Amino acid sequence: MTKNNTELIYNQLSKTRSQIITSLLFITILGYFSFIGVIAFNPSLFGRMFQELNISIGIFLGFLLILLIFFVTLVYVYLANKKLQPLIEKIKND
Amino acid sequence: MIKFFIENIAISMFIIFVGLTLYITYWASKRTKTAKSFYTAGGEITGFQNGLAISGDFMSAASFLGISGLVYLTGFDGLIYSIGFLVGWPIILLLIAEPLRNLGKYSFADVASFRLKQKPIRLLAACGSLCTVILYLIAQMVGAGKLIEILFGLPYYFAVLIVGGLMILYVTFGGMLATTWVQIIKAILLLSGATLISILVLREFDFNLDLFFIEATNIHAKGIDILAPGGLISDPISAISLGLALMFGTAGLPHILMRFFTVKDAIQARKSVVYATGFIGYFYILTFIIGFGAIILVSKNPLYLDDLGGLIGKNNMAAIHLAHAVGGEVLLGFISAVAFATILAVVSGLTLAGASAISHDLYANVFNHNKSNEKKEMQVSKIATVALGLLAIFLGIIFESQNVAFMVGLAFAIAASTNFPILLLSIYWKNLTTKGAVIGGSTGLLTAIMLVILGPVVWVDVFGNAQPIFPYKYPALFSMSVTFIGIWFFSITDKSKEANQVKSKFDAQFFRSQTGIGIDKAVKH
Repeated sequence: MTKNNTELIYNQLSKTRSQIITSLLFITILGYFSFIGVIAFNPSLFGRMFQELNISIGIFLGFLLILLIFFVTLVYVYLANKKLQPLIEKIKND
Repeated sequence: MIKFFIENIAISMFIIFVGLTLYITYWASKRTKTAKSFYTAGGEITGFQNGLAISGDFMSAASFLGISGLVYLTGFDGLIYSIGFLVGWPIILLLIAEPLRNLGKYSFADVASFRLKQKPIRLLAACGSLCTVILYLIAQMVGAGKLIEILFGLPYYFAVLIVGGLMILYVTFGGMLATTWVQIIKAILLLSGATLISILVLREFDFNLDLFFIEATNIHAKGIDILAPGGLISDPISAISLGLALMFGTAGLPHILMRFFTVKDAIQARKSVVYATGFIGYFYILTFIIGFGAIILVSKNPLYLDDLGGLIGKNNMAAIHLAHAVGGEVLLGFISAVAFATILAVVSGLTLAGASAISHDLYANVFNHNKSNEKKEMQVSKIATVALGLLAIFLGIIFESQNVAFMVGLAFAIAASTNFPILLLSIYWKNLTTKGAVIGGSTGLLTAIMLVILGPVVWVDVFGNAQPIFPYKYPALFSMSVTFIGIWFFSITDKSKEANQVKSKFDAQFFRSQTGIGIDKAVKH
């Protein structure tokens, strides 16, 4: 293939990768710093209890955040294998 | 024989573990002939194996006993640490893991000095690495000595000597291959041990979490307040500062970064992070259950309390006592051996990372540039391993009665303020120059150390002064700002010829970091 074509694929790779990374990074940082932010500025909010469950909002959201963090890594690897890797292979073959 | 085994289950388990790991070391030593195999296990570790090894490297006895102890003491606040330690992993995965694998060979300094000037950058990266490694080592050694003193009834010095001696054997003879397998075995043991305790605890409540939390709040002196943020963080600045150190510190820990060179390529590197994040996240959920379980089953049982009503061996023993409460002598023995294995795996990883900073960065590329060969470099790294091991034993003994709790925090602050910014900006910021990286990175390093010394944990708790000069416990917010502003300012004002050369190399470097092309010629694994 021509050099031009490789360059196009590389540009597409960079663009797709930065989109994936930026959005997942945004979710991670937003989730984490909202959690830290509540602890910093309004800790009593996390002490409130759910009506039907004997568990506080803070602990519930904390566990949810652990799941979210794992979910982010899963989504990234799924997207990287599906969308980025084919482009990388194409560039390698050129 | 069988009677001895049951009566001394902890010691028997421990002997089996040591025997197995020494056999692995012997096996690995025959495969560890080159520098590449010594530092990276030949790059033949799979993503799944590396994920387990990373979790084995990361889940220290401090996380297991420390966080479950913190949950036992404060409830919710333990979760702040767990989440902070975990949130570093997406950061590593999204920003660091693949470029690191694509650009580096043995240490993260390879990446930072890819286009920047070798000597000053490697010197700085080695300083950052060694500070992190040594602080972490001291905390682990002192923790190990105390723990083994309590669990096995061995004298403190003896315990520190055993840990240091075994670690030297593993790393010197078996290199990365032996270290990896020690970490994998330890991760499996720790995960199954913690799972077992949690299941046994929850079984007492018929796996009804609702009942479990009610019981804990009924028993704990703070009552329902243990479900809310408590005294760990008293002001917004501390909360954000601690949050930053935990989030970005993980991505600057040299022993963790080094693990990414043990896999074949970027695909395996990213896979290993997912496995690691899953195992570590699961583990932190377990420590939370264990901490709450200890509140219910240990805190009112006179068997585990001293004369003053506190836990025998302090709060960090909560998980150990709980193992006894739910599983008797057998589980106690098993968990004690697991705790010991945990310490060994972590100190081995740390020592190997420290040794590679000394031999690969300082010796081969700073002091002896272009003159050293691989064989010589490997000899130096073995000498460095022994030296670091002896240093760890020596410091472990010196710091026996000191409060070392701040050291892991300081290690994270340094990693977040020096290693991480240099690594991140060298991969992603075109205008980074050697001058900027060196000035910014070293001021950040010094700022982190100074602020911890002048802050409450050292100035007041260790030196015994009445008031701290710097009011906050966690320096990362300030030291990271110093680093990033320093790097930015001294890079953009750097108009030298060298700075232009460095910038002109960026596009090629970025291409390789994104695609891995070019790696085969330079560092075929």
